[in-house]
Amino acid sequence: MKQKLWLLFFLAASALLLAGKVLVVKVMRSNLLAKPDFLSNSLAPIEKGAKLELIETQGSWYLVRNAVGLKGYIHQTAVAESKKSLSGIMPGKKGASEDELALAAKGFNEGNENKLRGSKGYNFADVDWVMDWNIANSALAAFIHEGKLK
Amino acid sequence: MKKTLLIICLSLLLVSWKLPINLGKAKKGLQLVSGATHKISEEEEYYIGRAVAANILSQYPLWKNSEVTRYLNLIGKTLVLKSERPEIFGGYHFSLLDSDEANAFSAPGGIIFLTRGIVDMAENEDELAAILAHEIQHVVAKDPLKAIKSQRMKALGTFAAGEAIGSSNQVLNIFQDSVLDISGTLLQKGYSRGQEKNADLGALDLMKATGYDPRALLAMLQKVKAVEKKKAKAFSAHPSASKRIAYVEDNLAPGSVQDSNSSRLARFKLIISRHRN
Repeated sequence: MKQKLWLLFFLAASALLLAGKVLVVKVMRSNLLAKPDFLSNSLAPIEKGAKLELIETQGSWYLVRNAVGLKGYIHQTAVAESKKSLSGIMPGKKGASEDELALAAKGFNEGNENKLRGSKGYNFADVDWVMDWNIANSALAAFIHEGKLK
Repeated sequence: MKKTLLIICLSLLLVSWKLPINLGKAKKGLQLVSGATHKISEEEEYYIGRAVAANILSQYPLWKNSEVTRYLNLIGKTLVLKSERPEIFGGYHFSLLDSDEANAFSAPGGIIFLTRGIVDMAENEDELAAILAHEIQHVVAKDPLKAIKSQRMKALGTFAAGEAIGSSNQVLNIFQDSVLDISGTLLQKGYSRGQEKNADLGALDLMKATGYDPRALLAMLQKVKAVEKKKAKAFSAHPSASKRIAYVEDNLAPGSVQDSNSSRLARFKLIISRHRN
């Protein structure tokens, strides 16, 4: 009886650890897509820090499930493997990835940018104009089609 | 049988448990504890790129032409989709500098500038795509970040491993010095020959993948060569346009002829030609 319980415990623990990896979105914003194609329909917008469960890999794309259970595709370059989620289920190990993120943000960050704003030699107002440009997926798809591009 | 199953489960558990922890520790040790260097995250790349762009825009006026800027962003984003780094922290952004110099540069994090001078040299969309593809490849290879002197990353690594960043002014100084390292490389020193060659060859691949004619890069380099002695700077910094033409030719299919698609040519003429001086 005791042996059976141990066996069940280990089976459950193994299943838990081998279950879908958790990925974390590392870009400011992206989209959960209907197909492994940047120009396919967006199922939901995704923002930095969102956790996604990996279902399978298809070339450079991941099929994932978001927090509300929606399945879709995201490009590999938009996500990183979540260390926190792994450590979170391990006894005695917590929050290492958050520490790393905090340390990583110490060098070149928004705080330091704010200190430079208004300084001679930095024109952030025009940088904001440049970065405000966004192209809708539908416009890009039409442009590619019209120009006989791929 | 039960014993074997138990051993298998135990092994799986230990392997999947220990491996991530050890890898995590190893990475953390490399990045933080040794203090040898500071690994730049994509978010940091974005912020340093914004500061480099702000520095460039304090020296060159921005040409705020919405129609041409939108057109450049459409061409650039078409190329980006086929690149090895299609998703970066803040996305790619393409814009114009109001300067007669024939030049193009990419700040870290995907902010790419073309001068009015180099846009004026292009005769069709494929030639504009060739310039953008070259600059995108510098971003993909993180070439702008490689211009930061190693001593700055070592200092930042030491701060990260040490106390709670009490020396915030020192960190700000490192930030500013890093910005100037990159701006100096983009505006004056130029990249190494190897970096330029990789960006050219990568641009050929990117153009082929998107359906742009790669011979357009050759055509642009020939134009750069013609004006090299007079005004072209960074786009032709080094190696010389002649050397770049030689290796680009070697990497093109023999006998291929530049063929700019008629609809691409029509929209190029509609958008670019009417904004020319």
